Amino acid sequence: MNGCEDKTASIERWLDGELSGAESESLRAHLAACAECSEARRRLEKLQSALTGVLLAEAQRVDFAPFRRAVQLRVNEKRPWHQEALDWMHDAFPVSRAAWVVPALIVLLLAVVSLESYLPGWRGAGRNAFATVDSIDAYGRNVALLREYDTKTTVIWLYQDQEGENEGAEETAPAGPAF
Amino acid sequence: MELTDRELVQQCQAGEMSAFQELVSRYQQKVYMVILGLLHNREDALEVAQETFFRAYRKISGFQGGSSFYTWLYRIAVNLAIDAQRRQKRNPLDFRETMDDLLESQDEAARDPFADLHDKELREKLISAINDLTPEHKAVIVLRTIEGLSYKDIGEIVGCSEGTVMSRLHYARKKLQDKLSAFL
Repeated sequence: MNGCEDKTASIERWLDGELSGAESESLRAHLAACAECSEARRRLEKLQSALTGVLLAEAQRVDFAPFRRAVQLRVNEKRPWHQEALDWMHDAFPVSRAAWVVPALIVLLLAVVSLESYLPGWRGAGRNAFATVDSIDAYGRNVALLREYDTKTTVIWLYQDQEGENEGAEETAPAGPAF
Repeated sequence: MELTDRELVQQCQAGEMSAFQELVSRYQQKVYMVILGLLHNREDALEVAQETFFRAYRKISGFQGGSSFYTWLYRIAVNLAIDAQRRQKRNPLDFRETMDDLLESQDEAARDPFADLHDKELREKLISAINDLTPEHKAVIVLRTIEGLSYKDIGEIVGCSEGTVMSRLHYARKKLQDKLSAFL
């Protein structure tokens, strides 16, 4: 196509009814004079016709009466409450919105942690200490955490079980208070 | 006098079931064609079309009329079809076999409004070429082909700008033409 490469998109937009009146007139005049663009138009129209033909021929073979009855049945059927609830959840929290759940949970967690700073002991009257011991890997390394609300002090120990462990001893020495 | 979509939707929102049945009758074939164009499997397409109307019925009370009813309905159909395509396990050749049956039947071939498309191979190649497009490209070309929707409407349905619709259509057509160059 000599100098007409950019015309293909215009021909498509014209066939799709997306060109203005003036643009259409100009393109029509060009098509009347350019055999190659006319050929491009013919190919696009044949493609469109073939696509429509394939889908329409198939759709015309379908008897939609049973289809309508099936839709009616589904609309009328009583559904269990849990299915209604699941559908409601699905509509209210589609996957695209579910992406917000993670940051929202983080913010909520931070809010709870902050609340502890401002309202010591809010989680239970008279509570002034919190302690936990957890294993942090499969090699017997553990972390112990002690939080004293009265003094606002947190102590963290990293240590390793002594039984059967031969490596990483230097890493398992008590780290002492972190802050 | 035939009621408009908007009037039928309003009646449906007021609990008039016959109005919903009329909407189903009005759009069943086009919705089915859009979904078939995306899934290429007759049974799956019918199932998804049924689900489309069921979802539309459930949500119609919340339909505000900000867009036209068909745009809203096609949006449900396209989203469900794309979801179904991602988990589709049935043989996509089902549709091709359907088309072979069609071509072998003299009577039905006579009813084919595009009987000038005698070339069976072209149809097969066309179905294969559509199958090779991404769901996003399929969606725009099918919506444009079946309903003749404007770029604006297609953009509303698939959730992208008019410019994106135009470029996706151009890409899809180019791909199809490349694969069907011997037949067009």
